[in-house]
Amino acid sequence: MLSKEELVRSLVAARRNAVVVTTMSIVRTWGRYSNSDLDFASADSAMGHSADLALGIALAQPKRKVICLNGDGSMLMTLGSLATIVEARAENLILLIVQNETFEITGNQPIPAANRIDFSMLARGVGFKNCYNFDDVQRYEQTLDSILKQKGPTFLTVKVESGNEGPLSRGSTQEVAYLKPSLAESAHQLRETLLAERCF
Amino acid sequence: MINAQSILKELLYCGITDIVGLPDNCSATLFALLNSKNEPKLRLVSREGEAFALASGLWIGGKKPIILIQNTGLLESGDSFRGTALRMRIPLLCLVTFRGYAKTKKHNENFHKKEKNHLYSQPSLDSVALFTEPTLKAWGLPFDFLSREEDTKKISSSIRLSEELGSPVVLLVTENMT
Repeated sequence: MLSKEELVRSLVAARRNAVVVTTMSIVRTWGRYSNSDLDFASADSAMGHSADLALGIALAQPKRKVICLNGDGSMLMTLGSLATIVEARAENLILLIVQNETFEITGNQPIPAANRIDFSMLARGVGFKNCYNFDDVQRYEQTLDSILKQKGPTFLTVKVESGNEGPLSRGSTQEVAYLKPSLAESAHQLRETLLAERCF
Repeated sequence: MINAQSILKELLYCGITDIVGLPDNCSATLFALLNSKNEPKLRLVSREGEAFALASGLWIGGKKPIILIQNTGLLESGDSFRGTALRMRIPLLCLVTFRGYAKTKKHNENFHKKEKNHLYSQPSLDSVALFTEPTLKAWGLPFDFLSREEDTKKISSSIRLSEELGSPVVLLVTENMT
């Protein structure tokens, strides 16, 4: 099992110019290690829909990788999105499930089917090209870079230790930079960044 | 009846790049038409709530999408709609087919009565039609009707309105597309 910090550190180093969409318990951890205009926190947003949002960005920006750090509880809320992603043939989308098996930000209540569900098997079942499971930091660090270079859609499940991240909010007093603007400001800023870089 | 070809022509005129949604009987012809074209891109979802997040992502990425769903799917999408397109202030036209409109129109006098809980279980009515307009009003969403061929011009005016407001707007499609 990895710590969230171990998951994030390697990904920050490997992401290059990818857009990274985060949600739930990984939002603050990501923001402590990364401060990029291409980071987007799906916080103060719609529960369970980060993968759908990331899919939209990926389809609009086919030459750029889009990485979604989704919660396991969040993924359960919209399992149909897996089929939608495959149908859309989003080759540049990497969907990474942060599997801590709890609803961490509401107090670590277990998710349905915790300890039994195999997300990568579900993803493979709907037709994801590349599916990986990680519960060992060494193998994760060694293979992450090559996985990100693959033509997708790509699906990773990373088992992490639960922490004590509390509920998310936005505003100027927030600890991490990408939670300071409102959701609308963040969305419009990311659009401006992507349009300015013209990586279509 | 509304010609699906006229709707498509208007969407192309407005520069729409992507249509995100799920078909129903009313919109089936337009979906079939879109399936045979490369532009705009048809983006099928598994359930309507996904559509608002997906369309929001497309807009963030520089595209100009619209939503095409049934009113049942609109109700399903409540939190997704609220937490993405609305909260992100995304200009987005939503074409929402109005299941149950004709039956509800016949019962118009009952529909506007204050006490209408008994109507929700009446087999002669489609309860989703009873909820559609009150829901849009409660959500503060501007909406209009697409009921005749001439109404297709409302597509461009609704898109302009959504851009001015920085908000989703809805066109309720009350007739089947041919």
